[in-house]
Amino acid sequence: MATIIELDHISKQYGPDILGVDDISLNVEDGEFVTLLGPSGCGKSTLLRMIGGFEEPTGGCIRLAGEDVTFSPPYRRAVNMVFQDYALFPHMTVGDNVAYGLKLMGCSPREIDTRVFDALHLVGLYDKLKLYPHQLSGGQRQRIALARAIVRRPKVLLLDEPLSALDAKLREQMQTELKQLQEKVGITFIMVTHDQTEALVMSDRIVVMEKGRIAQEGTPQQLYDHPASRYVANFIGTTTFLPGVTESISDGTTRIAIGGGALDAVADIALPVGEAVTIGLRPEKVRLLEEGEASTNTLSGKICEVIYYGLGLRLGIELAGGARLYADKLLPDTLSRSHVPPLGQPVRLAVQPHNVFVFPGEVEA
Amino acid sequence: MRHFYRNIPAVLVLGIPFVWVVLFMLIPYGVIATYSFWEKKYPVFIPAFQWGNYQMLLADPQYIKVLLRTAKISILVSIASFLIAYPFAYYLVYRCRSARVRTWLYMAVVAPLWISYLLRAYVWKTILGTEGVLNSFLIWTGLVDTPSPIFLYNQFSMVVTLTYIFIPFMVMPIYTALEKIPKNLIEASADLGLGPWRTLMKVTLPMSLPGVVAGFTLTFCLSFGDFVAPFLVGGPDGNLIANVITTQFGSALNWPLGSALSIVMLIVVLTIISLSDRFERRGTAGGH
Amino acid sequence: MKIGERTSIYAALLGMLLSSGTAHAEGTLNLLTWEGYADPSYVTQFEKETGCKVNATYVGSNDDFAPKLMAGGGVYDLITPSLDTTKLMIDLDLVEPIDTAKIAEWNNIYPNLRALENIRKGDDVYGMPYTWGAIIMMYRTDAFKTPPTSISDLWNPELKGKISIWDDKSSIYLAARKNGDMNIYNLSDEQIAAARKALEEQKPLVRKYWTTAGELVDLYKSGEIVLSNTWAGNMASILKREGIPMTEFIPKEGAEGWVDIWMMVKGTPNTDCAYKYLNMQLSAVGQCAISQINTNSVANPVAAKTCMTPERFAELHQDDPTYLDKLMVWQSLGDRYEAYANAWNAVKAQ
Repeated sequence: MATIIELDHISKQYGPDILGVDDISLNVEDGEFVTLLGPSGCGKSTLLRMIGGFEEPTGGCIRLAGEDVTFSPPYRRAVNMVFQDYALFPHMTVGDNVAYGLKLMGCSPREIDTRVFDALHLVGLYDKLKLYPHQLSGGQRQRIALARAIVRRPKVLLLDEPLSALDAKLREQMQTELKQLQEKVGITFIMVTHDQTEALVMSDRIVVMEKGRIAQEGTPQQLYDHPASRYVANFIGTTTFLPGVTESISDGTTRIAIGGGALDAVADIALPVGEAVTIGLRPEKVRLLEEGEASTNTLSGKICEVIYYGLGLRLGIELAGGARLYADKLLPDTLSRSHVPPLGQPVRLAVQPHNVFVFPGEVEA
Repeated sequence: MRHFYRNIPAVLVLGIPFVWVVLFMLIPYGVIATYSFWEKKYPVFIPAFQWGNYQMLLADPQYIKVLLRTAKISILVSIASFLIAYPFAYYLVYRCRSARVRTWLYMAVVAPLWISYLLRAYVWKTILGTEGVLNSFLIWTGLVDTPSPIFLYNQFSMVVTLTYIFIPFMVMPIYTALEKIPKNLIEASADLGLGPWRTLMKVTLPMSLPGVVAGFTLTFCLSFGDFVAPFLVGGPDGNLIANVITTQFGSALNWPLGSALSIVMLIVVLTIISLSDRFERRGTAGGH
Repeated sequence: MKIGERTSIYAALLGMLLSSGTAHAEGTLNLLTWEGYADPSYVTQFEKETGCKVNATYVGSNDDFAPKLMAGGGVYDLITPSLDTTKLMIDLDLVEPIDTAKIAEWNNIYPNLRALENIRKGDDVYGMPYTWGAIIMMYRTDAFKTPPTSISDLWNPELKGKISIWDDKSSIYLAARKNGDMNIYNLSDEQIAAARKALEEQKPLVRKYWTTAGELVDLYKSGEIVLSNTWAGNMASILKREGIPMTEFIPKEGAEGWVDIWMMVKGTPNTDCAYKYLNMQLSAVGQCAISQINTNSVANPVAAKTCMTPERFAELHQDDPTYLDKLMVWQSLGDRYEAYANAWNAVKAQ
């Protein structure tokens, strides 16, 4: 695969001390679906707008298909954008909105018609051709915005929080639809979102951003299973953090003492013995042991909280040393009283060593 | 009775505007309309119901002539205001990056509204006069060697003065209309390959049209009723319809004819306002 | 501006609706008059001596009297229309007769002024002549090699853009005389049409029609014009004081004359104060003040003599009671008024 976008040490400085984007280098391959993920203010939207040409970087270089476009205006870039609230022209029909960018490309009227038809067909809204944007629902508007952006066959499609204005149900449906559409048209997608589920479901690659820098990049699975920092572990999926101290190290396995017990972990980083660390555990990876069941790598404590979330129960467990963690328990088809453990019941837990994340430093408040 | 006392606040809140409208709007219009059918007869005029005044307005070419001239001046003022106000408002909304500079510039245009109308008109008299600022400047630059009288006491000076005086009424609605256009529509247009000029013509201008129409309506109607500019900076060919009305109510002592003229003027203005209102409502229907 | 224009009409109409009930204020004289006709220089003294308070409202034109009195009903006690408007006031029944026996110096007034027809109706006298002057022409002395002498000079194409005439129906009088029609207060329709045509021909030459004394002074001061008609004495003396060389002259077609008349508004309860004011105005105090402030000639030569030098007395033609007869003194146009006013409006509409 060829590289379509190269970001080469891109920075955006707003004031003397305000860095929006801090020295980011990133390559995007042709046909890839890349998501920029992070909380608001992390610089992800600024980065996207610089790729689109709406803002100019204060340092670095942007190349599109090998060509330097760092300071080209938006109307000279083979890049199109789906705006957060769609930015459909309210004084034009759906058809005119979609055809808007074609007239200047030297297309014949006939070709314009064909391409508008194809684009609207692709998003399943050809019958809305003559309607005005205010006559459409939110989801329909979002599809029209998509059709308008892809009708010009850009090299790269930028999506700025494309689903954030939709309600939860529709958003879930659009996630798969968008992904399928991207595969069908084969255009590179770069999406910005703060919703980790969206990122996990749709992306080939996720770039997690923190304070203008890249915190970690990788496939959804890499990020989920091997978060490089507490920040990433916290942002993607649910993680409970516990304080611990390294006890012994042997053969790639580190034993870490946690208040009232100890766990083996496959640590990516080499730590000296006696170092204070932070343990990260995902509730769905912590298994509740049955009475008398034998297992390695266990902890014990007692139930102090029970949360019902449909698919199962999330149990809050207080360890002997006073630290707290969560463990998920899937429920059988029919829920009966006996499946809900009473508060105060002593339990034992087991975790696979590779599911124990170890981060340097003490737990932060 | 208790019911009545409980409603006193409501009666006051709705009643005062109602009384105001009746007392200061409807009754005077009614009186004017009544007068317009009376008959001029020395020494003054007598009650009657006849169309003579309106017939006179049609028969004597001087009234049509003044009406057309007033319309011409008003249209020129509206166009001149638009040509200056639109780029100005556009600059304020889209190009001016400093909020402070923007506020200052906006105030600079709007602030003259708080200065006496007469004073503002006088300013132009001193600028455009034969020995005025403009002529002194032209002589200083060497463009002309003798002061030119062509700037003052003609229709040009009236258009300049009226434009200056009424331009806030063009800037304000256009500024508001431009500010209401979501910025991302401009970005979307650029994103779809249109340069700034084409974006202006296809997105910004059409979407700010309600503001432009409001501005045209205001400046046209205000100019249409003006009688001070002709008096101060107008020349012998500067008589406007409001001056004729003033004359009829004053020196000519012909209130019936003046009333008939006022009614005609009122009809012109109301027609323009309702047309622009219809346009604006159509605009919003096609909008959000 | 539409608002302003409408408001003024509303104000007039409302005034008419509401003020029919308001009465004259007793002990306070309300004057509707020209500037200078209630000057503080003598009014303060008058108030102290008589106990009558004086309030003055000023008019800009003779055409203001009828609309203001018709709209404002019983507010005013004394008015000062010019001789061409007095008959209208009487015909409109806005004024009441004066008892000349109560005016001490009545018999000192020039006999020809006392005999004026337009201040009488039947045996009653409705007005007290106060001050008078001529409407003549003037020019900037430094702008002419050969001085203008005729009304026709206002039609001289070489002066294009440098002349001004009064924005008033009296322009018809001016144009008629230029056409050789000397019966200016009794013109036929054809003669009015000819005057109108002459004024329309003159229009391209006119810089601006002047409306007030101040405006005419400004037009000369800012170098816009060099020749115009004028109120004798008044504007030229202001301009000379400003250092602008001006020459006044009576055109060979003759000049119009005006006389301002004090009249008493019908139904005034302040007759005592009113007569005191009229007496003061006709005495040396009032007559001398007006001749100094407005540079007018006055109606009472006996009083004038007490304060004027012989030269000044002659300059203002106070020594020559027949001078006024040589002027074409304004007369009421009666029902012909509209024909004149309409012709002038038509000229302006062109």
